Amino acid sequence: MNAQPGTLPAMLDVVSHDYSLGQDDSAAAVARRLQSLLERVATGDKNAFSELYDEIAPRVFGLVKRVLIDHAQAEEVTQEVFLEIWQNATRFDASKGSAVTWMLTMTHRRAIDRIRASQSSRDRDLRIGIRDFEPGHDGVAEHVEVSVEHERVARAMARLTDLQRQAIELSYYGGYTNSEVAGILSVPLGTVKTRIRDGMIRLRDELGVTS
Amino acid sequence: MTDNTNDTKHDDVDPSTQTGSYALGALDADEVAAFEKHLAEHPETRNEATELSDTAVLLGLAVPPVAPPASLKASLLSQLDATPQLPAQTPAAPPLLAGPAETRARARWASRPVVALASAAAVIGLIAGGGAIATSVFQNNQRQEQADLFAAITAASDSQRRSVELAEGTATLVWSGELGASALIVDGLEPLPSDETYELWYIGESGIRSAGTFSADGSRTWRVLEGSMEAGDIVGVTVEPRGGSEQPTTDPIIQIDSA
Repeated sequence: MNAQPGTLPAMLDVVSHDYSLGQDDSAAAVARRLQSLLERVATGDKNAFSELYDEIAPRVFGLVKRVLIDHAQAEEVTQEVFLEIWQNATRFDASKGSAVTWMLTMTHRRAIDRIRASQSSRDRDLRIGIRDFEPGHDGVAEHVEVSVEHERVARAMARLTDLQRQAIELSYYGGYTNSEVAGILSVPLGTVKTRIRDGMIRLRDELGVTS
Repeated sequence: MTDNTNDTKHDDVDPSTQTGSYALGALDADEVAAFEKHLAEHPETRNEATELSDTAVLLGLAVPPVAPPASLKASLLSQLDATPQLPAQTPAAPPLLAGPAETRARARWASRPVVALASAAAVIGLIAGGGAIATSVFQNNQRQEQADLFAAITAASDSQRRSVELAEGTATLVWSGELGASALIVDGLEPLPSDETYELWYIGESGIRSAGTFSADGSRTWRVLEGSMEAGDIVGVTVEPRGGSEQPTTDPIIQIDSA
């Protein structure tokens, strides 16, 4: 799927699909569409749910799969996420954050909950984590499609210290707790926490996030 | 590396340094609880935690999208009918009365999905009773309690569900082994004569335990089962004389195996 990188604005580079040609895909338009779909889902509208799924499922599945690796588990968790979206759409309030933020936060939480609940995952060889998250190693670059968002985040990540970057990647994409990260990187727990905070603040500023 | 910061496990870490870890989901359950308590009292930390959580979402959006298999969508859509939506929360106190920024931040934290569910007991008191919601078999405060439990079961990290087709309609069991609790959602179950009731059972190695009774009216209804669920229990439903029985007296009309 080599779909014109750059036609969608960065923040809401929500999967390009066929009908992107026929729709207004400015970031604001995508955000409005997702929000309005979610609000319709809150009224029990299954067609809206179906459309919302088409828009965001590849994002959800991509993230869950990145964290869990295992395909079958990623499918299960993706299903849980969408049932939670269906159940909780009534609680979504656009004045408190975007629809994408709401759904992706839920997605990540579900994925790491699954990692921590599952004994087999808990017993994962930590060395696998180190191999996957080596500084400079960029699994994403193997994909043909490189999203605008990815480039933006990758540039911001490159400005972090090695320790900040490793700690953030192990936490967010690896699902490791602070204590586990401290063990993997052989640094004190307190150091992990402050490096993660410093690194996230740096990313926030580089990426221009404000609340 | 003999640095004693290695030992700063929970108590002596300044919570304000944990905003990044919180945003990345890197705190364990105890730390999250302590941190959220801290957030409630420190607006500065709360704002930072919000911003860093938004930053974490960008890390999520940086992952290349992967199309899930088509079967996933089909399976999801088939489950919607049996999955009740949570009632909308009635609007909180007018935000203009309190400090706007703080109110906004507070409201925002309360609205985070998992936070909202974890604190459902405190928040959900406002059952609105909207159109798309399955009616619980209970009323008023009991209904609220049921809704809280239901939310907790569906939000549990090990939440699972299984549906069975009935002669007319479907039955879905949602359960969490961690919580040792389950809820049954039935669709299309016919009303019984007034001298009979539907009764729920946990059927397992330790025998058959009654898990409460319920009535049905042909539409969608649900309830959280009484008592605690044990791993591998089968949940059954029988028709019993009004008031229920101590042990089933008829063959089950619904059986769902959680093993």
